[in-house]
Amino acid sequence: MRIAGTSYMDSMVSQLNLLSAQQYQLQNQASTGQTISAPSDNPAGMALALNLQADSSTVTQYSQNISTLQNRAAISGNALASLKTIADRAGEIATSADGASSPAQLQANAAEVTQLIQQAAQIMNTRDGSQYVFGGTASATAPFAVSTDASGNVTAVTYSGNSSVAQSEVSQNVTMAVSAPGENNSGSGARGVISDSRYGADLFNHLISLQNNLLSGNTDAISTTDAPDLSKDSDNIIYQVATNGAAQTRLTAAASFATSQQSGLQQNLTSVAGADLAQTLTQLTQAGNAYQIALQTSSQLLQLQQTVLNSLP
Amino acid sequence: MLGLFNTLNLGARAMTAQQVGVEVTGQNLANANNPAYARQRVQLQTSTPTPTGIGMEGTGVEAASIQQVRDQLLDSQIQSESSVGGYWNSQQSALQNAQTQLNEFLNLNSTSGTSGSSADTQGLSDQLNNLFNAFQSVATSPTDPSARASLVNAAQSLASGLNQSSQNLTTLNGLFNTSVSNDIASANQLLSDIASLNGEIAKATASGGNANDLVDSREQDLENLSKLVNIQTAGNSDGTVSVSIGGQQLVTGNKLADTLATYDPGNGNLLVQTASSVTPLTLSGGSIQGTIDARDETLATLRSGLDTMASSLITQVNGIYKNGYDLNGNHGADFFTGSDAATIGVNPAAANDPSQIQAAGTANASGDNSIALQLAQLGQQSIAALNNQTFSTAYAHDVQNFGNALSNANDQVTNYNSVNAMLQNQRDSVSGVSLEEETANLITYQKAYECSAKLITTVDEMLQTVVNMKS
Repeated sequence: MRIAGTSYMDSMVSQLNLLSAQQYQLQNQASTGQTISAPSDNPAGMALALNLQADSSTVTQYSQNISTLQNRAAISGNALASLKTIADRAGEIATSADGASSPAQLQANAAEVTQLIQQAAQIMNTRDGSQYVFGGTASATAPFAVSTDASGNVTAVTYSGNSSVAQSEVSQNVTMAVSAPGENNSGSGARGVISDSRYGADLFNHLISLQNNLLSGNTDAISTTDAPDLSKDSDNIIYQVATNGAAQTRLTAAASFATSQQSGLQQNLTSVAGADLAQTLTQLTQAGNAYQIALQTSSQLLQLQQTVLNSLP
Repeated sequence: MLGLFNTLNLGARAMTAQQVGVEVTGQNLANANNPAYARQRVQLQTSTPTPTGIGMEGTGVEAASIQQVRDQLLDSQIQSESSVGGYWNSQQSALQNAQTQLNEFLNLNSTSGTSGSSADTQGLSDQLNNLFNAFQSVATSPTDPSARASLVNAAQSLASGLNQSSQNLTTLNGLFNTSVSNDIASANQLLSDIASLNGEIAKATASGGNANDLVDSREQDLENLSKLVNIQTAGNSDGTVSVSIGGQQLVTGNKLADTLATYDPGNGNLLVQTASSVTPLTLSGGSIQGTIDARDETLATLRSGLDTMASSLITQVNGIYKNGYDLNGNHGADFFTGSDAATIGVNPAAANDPSQIQAAGTANASGDNSIALQLAQLGQQSIAALNNQTFSTAYAHDVQNFGNALSNANDQVTNYNSVNAMLQNQRDSVSGVSLEEETANLITYQKAYECSAKLITTVDEMLQTVVNMKS
């Protein structure tokens, strides 16, 4: 076949360009650790990678949600534990206040119950940041307000929150709430911590009743009414503590699930778009060698051409 | 018998003929690196014999003509392939440009581990994710000022990203129009040059000469024109070539019958027609049609996809958001303003005062997050206007479709380069200058010239002998 002079050069340049392009691509893959950078590199792979990254980003957000909820659940849990201590003490006082107690003892117990009410109200006004934990979704203002008389005895504790709770997403379409409303006497929805008509719980009113009965020395009312009422309150609080514990356990499980999900997504992402470094470096070396050989071959061809020219007389 | 003087003439003609051979060889060597040049060769023939007493006797050699070595079939194939190459090269260039403007690159190593050219310049995919994640943060902590501020930031980033992408692609659309106009101007110049060359070639061949170099120039112009637009050519007996495009005659002999022009069909995207007869042309190849197709198909689809996603986002988000209450108990505002990718923005009131973000489902319940939660979950919902895909999936699909178009263009360019290289090699093997061959020819003609000179010297000596016979 007849070979024109320009064919040598064109072919040589074409081959060198091809080899340069291969080296560039492989170098890029080696330095970025990716086989896909742009949509045109692998369109289907790019779409899959974008979807995986979206999923990964969502799971990261779920993890953050879980972390926030864990913090909030811990705050609630601590508050409920303190509230249980108060309820337990109130129960002890109610049990011990009988006909054998002296008036002075009853007065002292009344004063203690007054303090227990104040402490309980303070606990029930616990905040997570700027938000009140036990106000339901009306969380901007303190849900419980204590009213006292001239002697400092508590006359009422009013609730200004509501009975709704906010749900947060911990996994796709899986939501949970970690807060409980301070009171819920609507007959449905989340159980109120202090007061819930479905379960006979009404801690503050029962404590006020105990306080008043202690002040008046009405030990019969204490044993027949206050003590059983406080028992229901205690059961209610135990329920809240258990529910809170279960929520924290569930959040721990959700966090673990999110972690394993994230790990799986990252592995998938790597398999779709990640470069096999060993293979890439091997191919890069091969391409480099081929480039060197092409250069040497081209040099020899050019020398042969020079030989032809030197043969002219 | 020729006689000594006729033999002298024989020698002189031979030297002249060999000299022409050397000149043609010189011309070939001078154009060895000229890609448009087709090698020439001198056609030597024996000169008219003369009758003598002993029969017809030869009178030597003469250079009959200088022929160009060309394969018309290969030239036609290369012209045809040039159109294909021009089409796909312009598609590739246009779509590579669009890919840069879209700025959707995968970066597994960025600090956020998400898309975008770097952690600081995120692509739309990442910005979409950030928006719905920000809704999640507000849903989890509805009264948290930093969560609200982050939501505003994420929404503004996404809106700004859509605005920028839309603007970039619109600008690119305009540049494509400019490219079409420029290519049309180039094509018209080439058509004019071809008509002019036709005239000169016709004159040269009519006077019995050859127009090899003019034919080379015309072939180069035809190939360059083919890269711009697919042409049909027809050779004429006078050496001219007629050129038509889409069935419309543009060059006839030395006449430029018509030229190309752009026109606006009403949507601002220029198309091609003939200038005088105002006939719209549907081109089948070349860079002009490649640019038009990139603009009207792939780029248009991408822009439409962005607009659809933006308008769906505005509609879906606002549809939920309107029902929400802000921290001050206000109600009914929109979250997003605008209607498409170019105009989407964040409600300035909410942007300036995040407490006005309507996250709650009821008034006077700042801890209520039901609206924010619905908005967060919107990111995982199938949207009817997006072919029942989520926002992220729909966008990824648009990116894939775009990537497919560019990947296909890249493959076609690679294929064209292979085919073109093969055809060029074939043409070079026919028409290209071989240094080895020309060097050998040079030596051949030189030796023949020397021998002819030797003949003249010999005859001269013989004449001298004859002259010296008379003292």
